[in-house]
Amino acid sequence: MNAPFYKFGLFGDEASLIIAFVIGIGFGFFLERAGFGSGRKLAAQFYFRDLSVLKVMFTAIITAMTGLYLLSRLGFVDLSLVYLVPTFVVPQIVGGLLLGIGFVIGGYCPGTSCVSSVTGSIDGMVYVAGMIVGLAGFAEVYPSMQSYVQMTPMGQITLARLFNLPYGLLVFAVVLMALAAFAAAEWAEKKVTGTSPDPKGSITGGPWRMTPVRILATGLAAAGFVALIAGDPYRGSHASIDTRDLAIRVGKGVDKVQAAQLADWIIQGRNDFKLVDLRSERDFDAYHIPTAQDLPLASLTPDFAAHNDRIILYSGDGTEAAQAWFLLEAQGFKNVYLLDGGLRAWQTIVLFPQKSAGTDPAVFEKQVEVAKYFGGAPREEGTSPAASVAVALPKLAAPAQPLIPAGNSSNTQPKKKKEGC
Amino acid sequence: MNNVEHSAKPYWNPYLSGFGLGLVLLASFVIMGRGLGASGAINAFVATAMHQLAPDHVEKSAYYAEYLGDGVHSPLKDWLVFEVLGVFVGGFLSGVLANRLKFRVEKGPRMTNPLRLLFAFIGGALMIIGARLALGCTSGQALTGGSLLNVGSWIFMMCVFGGAYAVAYFFRKQWI
Repeated sequence: MNAPFYKFGLFGDEASLIIAFVIGIGFGFFLERAGFGSGRKLAAQFYFRDLSVLKVMFTAIITAMTGLYLLSRLGFVDLSLVYLVPTFVVPQIVGGLLLGIGFVIGGYCPGTSCVSSVTGSIDGMVYVAGMIVGLAGFAEVYPSMQSYVQMTPMGQITLARLFNLPYGLLVFAVVLMALAAFAAAEWAEKKVTGTSPDPKGSITGGPWRMTPVRILATGLAAAGFVALIAGDPYRGSHASIDTRDLAIRVGKGVDKVQAAQLADWIIQGRNDFKLVDLRSERDFDAYHIPTAQDLPLASLTPDFAAHNDRIILYSGDGTEAAQAWFLLEAQGFKNVYLLDGGLRAWQTIVLFPQKSAGTDPAVFEKQVEVAKYFGGAPREEGTSPAASVAVALPKLAAPAQPLIPAGNSSNTQPKKKKEGC
Repeated sequence: MNNVEHSAKPYWNPYLSGFGLGLVLLASFVIMGRGLGASGAINAFVATAMHQLAPDHVEKSAYYAEYLGDGVHSPLKDWLVFEVLGVFVGGFLSGVLANRLKFRVEKGPRMTNPLRLLFAFIGGALMIIGARLALGCTSGQALTGGSLLNVGSWIFMMCVFGGAYAVAYFFRKQWI
């Protein structure tokens, strides 16, 4: 069996919505069971009176973490296919602080407010209204802070990769930390409220007998210890890809950028993409599309760009670009595109456009303008495409002329950008 | 009133509830390859509602663009939206079974109702903005990312507890 089931195409999008609903029911049920429909109980966490928030949260975290580790280690789940939210350090610090402050003021977090309002808490309902109004307000100021929300990106990264430590060691460390925090929480509750913890419901209180809670704690500790010694949970060292998702995207053609489109972007001075030329250095020096960087296939390492950068690939006839596209997808790059038709298409469509019978004169005029911008020229009518390609090739290899507009384009870039806004 | 109070069953043990929650999260990882969430659904809801109210404004907005998508599919036809609908149903179910359904305002004895509701509103607004900045809330970041050893989630979690404990003293009248 291969899991995550959805990523291996066991069911489609429609079915996933039903599953979402069922999983949500479980989520809401356990939140309410724990008493998280009560803002007062939740807020008591921050006055050391009732540390249920910490206990529930960290029991859930170490349960899911050790469970996922074991299932991955046994080969049942492909851990690399479980979605990881990308890290943006500064926004996540600021967002975390806002959330913490809002928690004490509002009494809920988004998930618990749903459970609270549906069980009749009026403050829970008002909290939900506050979220809706707050978000609508945020949408209005968003354009002015758009550049800050993606500050300090680190990509999709785990603590194991950040510290370069074995994944299992960190699993074990988190389990130990959680168990120590539970003991400390029970001690603090006793100090602040003056009552002894219920022996049946706590880990540390009362006579030393095996209770369900202690069996659970022992089990989690054991699972953490297994993680420490059982090795890496990832499947081999090979990269893995979501073949189904890949096939769908290829089918839709959303993985391609048209030559004319790319030309427009370059003229506009857009800098939100990386244009990569996969041909040899010699070919690159002879001619390349302005703003491109030379990166032969063999030197394509996973760290040449951030995983969420928009990357557009091209090569002579597109073969190398297609190979590189697949490699980068497999390495987890999210926005990789192919220049449709490769450099050939760039020549015939952008540099040396040809007027055909059906072309609108105004459109063609613009094409000619674009061609001149990049140092090309319109082709004469009647030239067959095959012949013209043969004619175009030597022309391309000869002058460095097309590179001159590249310099111009970077000069005009700021001005053009403002116009766009 | 008193009868209702008496018949309301006690909450479950936090460790055992947490274990149940952890199994739900694990099921989500195994079945879907993703964790739980909550705040994302509010985003989709607000985008849809605003699109109904002020279509021209929303279509020009850079913010809403990513939620409205291609304009063919409703942003409400989304995994997180259906999951949060389930959260409402699951919470209601558990509340009914434990006899806990009751109109009430959650607060400490020294707090007035209007002020508590004002604070609930402000808190909700602050938190959803925080969640939008952090790309997730206690569900999507702390629970989910925490168990995936996600760097950003652990930074986020420390800041949530840090921020809350830092200001808790000033709001003590509301709760204790």
